[in-house]
Amino acid sequence: MARMKFICDAERCIECNGCVTACKSEHEVPWGVNRRRLVTVNDGKPGERSISVACMHCTDAPCMAVCPVDCFYKTEEGVVLHDKDLCIGCGYCFYACPFGAPQFPQAGAFGLRGKMDKCTFCAGGPEEDNSAAERTKYGRNRLSEGKLPACAEMCSTKALLAGDGDVIMSIYKQRVQRRGKGDEVWGWAMAYNRSDAKPQVAGAKT
Amino acid sequence: MIARVFLRYGACAALVLGLVACGETDQTAKTEKVYAGKKDERAYDNKLFGNDKKKWEATMAARTKPQNEYLRTDSK
Repeated sequence: MARMKFICDAERCIECNGCVTACKSEHEVPWGVNRRRLVTVNDGKPGERSISVACMHCTDAPCMAVCPVDCFYKTEEGVVLHDKDLCIGCGYCFYACPFGAPQFPQAGAFGLRGKMDKCTFCAGGPEEDNSAAERTKYGRNRLSEGKLPACAEMCSTKALLAGDGDVIMSIYKQRVQRRGKGDEVWGWAMAYNRSDAKPQVAGAKT
Repeated sequence: MIARVFLRYGACAALVLGLVACGETDQTAKTEKVYAGKKDERAYDNKLFGNDKKKWEATMAARTKPQNEYLRTDSK
């Protein structure tokens, strides 16, 4: 098996926040922590695009490189996880991560920073699979149930793809080939390759 | 004659050196990091999959491929 990866198709993402909500709900993520979030560029203008961002489970993860207590590890499937019992909440991983994936819950009064929390690719952590301890610390372990991350399975437009890197790359490649157009073209018809669809927004091209 | 031989060998040496220069250097950071935490179980090492990796991979593939809705809508 290849590595587990996420791809977000910016042509399809409709900024519905379904992935963010699915993640929050599935893992009961505390207030102030966003394992997944949406980033929108050119908001409200023609050519606006959104992308869903979380931990990208880097092949050569910078968070692992900078952690002073070595609490990060990588699973057989390439998922980057960490041991919260070791984490000291220093925040180095946050500075190192290019995606802003590591999140820190407020652990007490006066903004006291708690242990790092991040997307687990719905793979839990180093506790017994599907145990109460794993659920409390890391959220649900869907991978051990043979399921994909909740965010990708919830995505209504299938903008967010998750799974074996080779498979989702081939899906994305097929989409790009069917679009057959350059970066200047965007909108509904572009995303779904419907030749009969008319542009929904002034300025959108087909 | 000698100049021609020197030129030929010189050209060969330059070619070899040139190709060596095209080699890709490893840009991965060399760290001595070793995970210090608890050992994690494999995703398929549980009651559901009984440590059967193939079964787990097949289940995951059955979930991953249908993300391509072109397979469901049409085959054009």
